Amino acid sequence: MTHGELEDAIPLYAIGALERSERQVLDAHLLSGCPSCHSALREFQAVAAALPFGLDIVAPPRLLKASIMAAKVSAVGHDTMGHTSDLSRLGPGKWMKHVSQPDSRSTIAWMNGVPRWIVGSAVAAAVAGSVAMAWIARDSHMTDDSVALTQWKAQAASAASQSAELQRQLEEREQSLLRAREELHRSLADAAELKDQLIQREAELDVLKTQLDQHEKRRAHVPEDELAVLLRIPTIKAAVLAGTEAAGDASGIFLYDPRTRKAWLYTRNLPACSPGTEYRLWMLSENPISVGAFHIGPGETSHLFVQSVPDFPGAKAFSVSLEPVGGGRQPAGAPYLRSYL
Amino acid sequence: MHQDPEQAVSTIKPALLSQVMKGEHQAFSLLYDLSGTLLYSLALKILGNREEAADLLQEIYLEIRKKSARYDVGRGTPIAWLITLTRNRAVDRLRTGNVRAKRRPADLPNGSTTAQTTDQPSGSFHARADQELRRLILAAAAGLPAAQREAVEMAYYAGLSYADISSRLNQPPETVKTRIKLAMTKLREALQKDEERNTRS
Repeated sequence: MTHGELEDAIPLYAIGALERSERQVLDAHLLSGCPSCHSALREFQAVAAALPFGLDIVAPPRLLKASIMAAKVSAVGHDTMGHTSDLSRLGPGKWMKHVSQPDSRSTIAWMNGVPRWIVGSAVAAAVAGSVAMAWIARDSHMTDDSVALTQWKAQAASAASQSAELQRQLEEREQSLLRAREELHRSLADAAELKDQLIQREAELDVLKTQLDQHEKRRAHVPEDELAVLLRIPTIKAAVLAGTEAAGDASGIFLYDPRTRKAWLYTRNLPACSPGTEYRLWMLSENPISVGAFHIGPGETSHLFVQSVPDFPGAKAFSVSLEPVGGGRQPAGAPYLRSYL
Repeated sequence: MHQDPEQAVSTIKPALLSQVMKGEHQAFSLLYDLSGTLLYSLALKILGNREEAADLLQEIYLEIRKKSARYDVGRGTPIAWLITLTRNRAVDRLRTGNVRAKRRPADLPNGSTTAQTTDQPSGSFHARADQELRRLILAAAAGLPAAQREAVEMAYYAGLSYADISSRLNQPPETVKTRIKLAMTKLREALQKDEERNTRS
């Protein structure tokens, strides 16, 4: 049987309508602890147990209770006399024991042919005034064995209660495990989604890096663009610098805007500065005047911008020399570029 | 130990069975007062014979006194256990043919018959909870198609398997299974709705 078929069989199981072989299969499945089937079974068992509440209600015979009470006393006496009462067949067995063993009906054999409750009623009438005494007498004459039996029954009841509690806890844990499993599946799905988003972000980051590189390249071109703008200014003054013996391939151009008194120096092919040195631009007149310093690393060109150039009209020439960093007021190093106005 | 008028057979506490198991006479008396009428009605419904029903009840209550330790709180309420015990024993008697007199015809509750036969004034089954459950079951059973109600009746009160019912009604087994399943499902829904209403209120 598939699980679906087993589930379909539960309503029939609950009211005892299954064939024996099918019931055994479902019993085995329930013993496996299937939570959904156990849950469904409890619900349908509740339905089955509710059905008799809709019956026409018929009160039992008035003397039946007294008969049962009296019979109970008799039964206890019967047992203490060592007679076999075959009570094992009387137990309810499994809760859903729908097909019981054939009824041997030998509980009180001497009652055969006479309704036992009637006989019991007679007994009850006979001992009506002494039932309570019989109970007391029964208690007072209880043997050690019967005490032990009572204790054993109490222990068995306690064990059954604990077993039921354990079963309940087990079912709760199974439910908890199912919830945890669902939560895990949800977390895994969330993680997969985050991973997709991460991949997408990485792709976007690559695009941004590419755009940034392009932007940096455009910025690298700015000096050239700036130089072109400067050269288009009508009043700009320019001086070309040529490499000296120290840097034969070097060259430079010095631009000056008289309106703003700003100057720019562009150089190329100057050797890289050695540690602790820097290039310094000198305005040569009667006394050399330092205009500014700049540094060139390996493979770099230079771009010096000076906000305000002092007394440019008096200058006779410009030179660039390699000086110690923060050098003195006079050129001390060898010139690398030189111009003449 | 006196019976509380509002103490219902449908809400018998496991503690009462525990007291019975410990040999408390008054607890046993109270258990009978609460459940005797319902169990007798069930036995009579199945066996169709008052003497036989009374005999069965005597047998069962004696067993309860001695075997109540076998009640398992994890598998249902005390009254569910008592009902199942009574139903199974009565069906056993039917199957073995060990019933003294011919069974009288007895119909499933269909909502039209609610009369209470009174061999004597009954001391139980008047609690509000029991009456509410009775009304609920009668209404739900009345709402079932006759064929579904018949299938449930034959299974529960006559102890027939769906294959037996199929043979007696000359209907395919699958049809009978479906009828029982549908009927039980509708009854379950009725109980659940009532429980939800009670929970909300």
